[in-house]
Amino acid sequence: MPLVRVPTPLRPYTDGQKDVEVSGQTVGGALEALTERFPALRTHLFDEAGALRSFVHVFLGEQDVRELHGEATELQANDRLLIVPSIAGGSTAARPVDHSALRANQAMIIALLGAAYVADVSWLAAFVGAVMLFGSALGRPGFLDVYRLLRAVRVLRPDVYRDHPEPHRFAQALGGLVLAGATAAFLTGLPGAGWILTWIVIALAGLNLFGGFCAGCAVYYWMARLKLPGFTQSPPDGVLPGRRPIQRA
Amino acid sequence: MTLLLSPALARAIQSKGEAAYPEEGAGLILGRIDGERRQALQLLPLPNRSPEASRRRRYSFDPRDLLQAEVEAERLGLEILGVYHSHPDHPARPSETDLELALPWYCYVITSVERGRAGESAAWRLADDHSRFEAYAIDMLTPGG
Repeated sequence: MPLVRVPTPLRPYTDGQKDVEVSGQTVGGALEALTERFPALRTHLFDEAGALRSFVHVFLGEQDVRELHGEATELQANDRLLIVPSIAGGSTAARPVDHSALRANQAMIIALLGAAYVADVSWLAAFVGAVMLFGSALGRPGFLDVYRLLRAVRVLRPDVYRDHPEPHRFAQALGGLVLAGATAAFLTGLPGAGWILTWIVIALAGLNLFGGFCAGCAVYYWMARLKLPGFTQSPPDGVLPGRRPIQRA
Repeated sequence: MTLLLSPALARAIQSKGEAAYPEEGAGLILGRIDGERRQALQLLPLPNRSPEASRRRRYSFDPRDLLQAEVEAERLGLEILGVYHSHPDHPARPSETDLELALPWYCYVITSVERGRAGESAAWRLADDHSRFEAYAIDMLTPGG
């Protein structure tokens, strides 16, 4: 009779048996006989529709039975089937990130920097830069409290995606640094250069708010691709670097 | 549950994590089962087959490599006791990804590698209800012990 080799993680369901002799002319028949004898094994091998789970591989000799005739693959009396479950993992999964908070932050940055330009108040640009750098140091949007207030009075609602917070933190720090450069320009008597830098921040925050593209995040992911230390995240699955994630949390 | 791990094997797990940095390095732990105790006797490094873009936060093995591992374990007269993998610049705790993809029974040894240097290693197993990981004791054997 064919033999089924049970991998260690599934042996608790076969009373600890490593090799189980089964009847059956086909792979499907052999697995059926196995799960009839050990019913607790069934949910680990088959899904609700009765199909072999995608992460469970069954090998006949060197070949995955999916490359043969699947469960219809015929068995000889002295054949041995090996059940091989997939093994995978990783350090981080995407986490819930409230994009509503990020957008409120971008809107505040644009509004205050725009007002600073219109009223020709350079210290306001310096203030926004400081709030952004301070927020990044704390790992949160600089104007988070404004968002919390607007959420409390139900003007804004959370919009949570599976995403990585680190690139957003980096993007905000980058914007804060550009505004620090603008402040340095204002202080050294170069207001033109100061306002150009300020407008770069307004434009990139606008691109993020209205276009759904976070340029600073894209830079972060490119740095990660270059394997620079400290840049550990890759874009969420199926998302281009800097684009808004697809999957809601 | 206790994993008996010699200092040499513990060090080998750490240096494999360092060698793979900034990507995740992973492999299998082979050994013997003795009731509630599992004695690690050999490591079997396997290639990380995750797409290159995500190898810094993911690992996965090719089923064919796992088949070869089963054959190798049988040749050595050992069992696959679990999996070791590194968390580059992340703590030695199982992540949500680890929980989603974990198999029961296996002992998962996770090593934190901070900026290329291995830090803490910790062992875990999936709880019976699959809702979380439980810490697994590592018993460091003294050489010859």
